[in-house]
Amino acid sequence: MLLAATTSFSLPSIDYLAILPELVLLGGALIVLLATSMVRGGLKRNIATAITMLFSAAALVTALVQWGRISAQGAETTIAHAIVLDGFSTFIGVTVLCALILSVLVGHDYLKREGIESSEYHILAMIAASGAVMMGQANDLIVIFLALEILSIALYVLVAFNPLRGESGESALKYYILGGFSSAIFVYGIALVYGATGSTNLGQIANFFSENQLIHPGLFDAGLALVLVGFAFKIAAVPFHVWTPDVYQGAPSPITGFMASVAKVGGFAALIRVTIAAMNSQSASWKPILYALAIATLLLGAIVALVQRDVKRMLAYSSISHAGYILIGVEVGTLAGTSAALFYLFAYSVMTVGSFAIVTVLGGDGDSDHDLGRYRGLARRQPWLGGALAVLLLAQAGIPFTSGFFAKLGVVSAAINGGSWPLALVAMIAAAIGVAFYLRVVVLAYMGSDEADATDTPSSQVNPQTRHAQSTLLLEGQSVATIPAVSVPLLSGIAIVLSVATTIFFGVIPGPLLDFAHSAAQLFLA
Amino acid sequence: MCLWGVVRDRVTVVDQYLPVLGLLLLGIVFGAGSLIASKLLAPHQQATAAKVAPYECGIVPENDPPARFPVRFYLVAMIFIIFDIEIVFLFPFAVVFRQLGNFGIVEILVFSGVVFLSLAYLRSVGGLTWGPIKQLVKGMPARTSESTIARISADSSPERAA
Repeated sequence: MLLAATTSFSLPSIDYLAILPELVLLGGALIVLLATSMVRGGLKRNIATAITMLFSAAALVTALVQWGRISAQGAETTIAHAIVLDGFSTFIGVTVLCALILSVLVGHDYLKREGIESSEYHILAMIAASGAVMMGQANDLIVIFLALEILSIALYVLVAFNPLRGESGESALKYYILGGFSSAIFVYGIALVYGATGSTNLGQIANFFSENQLIHPGLFDAGLALVLVGFAFKIAAVPFHVWTPDVYQGAPSPITGFMASVAKVGGFAALIRVTIAAMNSQSASWKPILYALAIATLLLGAIVALVQRDVKRMLAYSSISHAGYILIGVEVGTLAGTSAALFYLFAYSVMTVGSFAIVTVLGGDGDSDHDLGRYRGLARRQPWLGGALAVLLLAQAGIPFTSGFFAKLGVVSAAINGGSWPLALVAMIAAAIGVAFYLRVVVLAYMGSDEADATDTPSSQVNPQTRHAQSTLLLEGQSVATIPAVSVPLLSGIAIVLSVATTIFFGVIPGPLLDFAHSAAQLFLA
Repeated sequence: MCLWGVVRDRVTVVDQYLPVLGLLLLGIVFGAGSLIASKLLAPHQQATAAKVAPYECGIVPENDPPARFPVRFYLVAMIFIIFDIEIVFLFPFAVVFRQLGNFGIVEILVFSGVVFLSLAYLRSVGGLTWGPIKQLVKGMPARTSESTIARISADSSPERAA
């Protein structure tokens, strides 16, 4: 029977332009791998970074070429409808590649500081990015799973790639076990959806629902719920967020920034395609789930971030909260909601990578010093670095004249227009709480003094090291001078400047990005 | 009557999934059965100190072993899995390679190339080097009694705020 099936094999047509960004990234990863293996004593870090930057930039160019083609000829599917090339996929590709380029810049200086002369970071980052780009293009549940695993497995290894960093191993193991669990749940959900609809292809699932009415939706609902659990884990939505703070804290800081942006963009890309493109007619099944997830994610992320002493944990909870805002855009399900979610994803990933770049720079040797106290008086010691931190954090809080403002405005107004005004209300409350914890760091950086710290820190939360540091500060009577200024390495500096500039540019002139997101969502829904 | 109709419909929907359901039940029964059986059959006596030691036989260790030592077995197992997976894909290809034509050959060559690259990488990082390890991780400080005390006290201090 197998032989009978294969005799009539016909090759599906492949549009290589559609998968070119992935091919370029994988090719780059393989070339770095080959060079590392062949060069005696390992590839020089500068060369590895140069090759990686070259291939990432080339992939970005191919994504823009794709955009030109789509604008002229419209969206298309290829490889037996498993891969789709449309504005949405291109937008996701551009977002992921921007995050990749910024992360490679930051990672280079991190590797230099830690004295790691190996190319694993470059190789794995490119492979993870290719998985994330593919998640935006996948038009089949199996391909989504494949892309998800390419992304996740590379990230598990990236978290632990520094063998001298003890807590990395712990967080990588935690991430790996929980991630493997969520992948298994996801696959089980795919199996049930396949059982209910007869196909794993998103287009065919949409066709099935346009022609049929489920009399017993139990099987489909169960499958959908399990698939959503898988996505909720990847985007760190409450209550599937428990891994996030520990993994974000334990991973090397540049990896945390990369993971926070790329994994979330990939997860949301596939989530939007599954819910809005394939199962739009079944929105009664998935909307309530996303509704509840969004509310829980917004509130818990914002409230728990308030009490964090560790900056990386605080940013982890802030990224959880961001996932809640993006979920609002997805839940609304309209064109405005989707384009707002896309805008949010781009703005979020740029400012997250930028924020973690600053955290990396300030973390010092060993990337271990992430206590809030480290940021006291930062703007006085280093006005530029402090200013960049202030811009990026205020952008995350959604202050006007930053891209974060338009991101939040977009999802909230989409929610109000789409009739989900309670969600909009919760989002505003969460934004108000968010302003408090972002401002706390900014205020500390600008006005930090001993008095500020005394009121700021409940003594029970101070760990012994910090208390010791504080007492020495008090004894010496000079609060600012004892925290040494750090020098900002060149490439990290470029990455920080780029992300700050992007954040401010799209905060003042949001038009181009709004148009891009809007037409991306439009092509996708058509 | 009406109720029976509903039940019958439900049953026909579930019908195709009966094997899955059976497997699920079998799994639960096996898992629970193993636990209960081991509770019933296991000897109920307090474990002695020797019993809970990592190795019951041999010389009782008096000091901690060195912190890092190479565990070659896992590396070999992972190398094996890489090539095992290559075979998993090569075998079905070999069965139908005439039907796949040139495209299939090119694809399988690319695939083998990628797997071969991983072998080259493994060789370059010393994954295939046997015998005593010549170069340990660079930058490891020499171990003295003071460094051990420092390390232990660093490990036990609360590093994370709640």
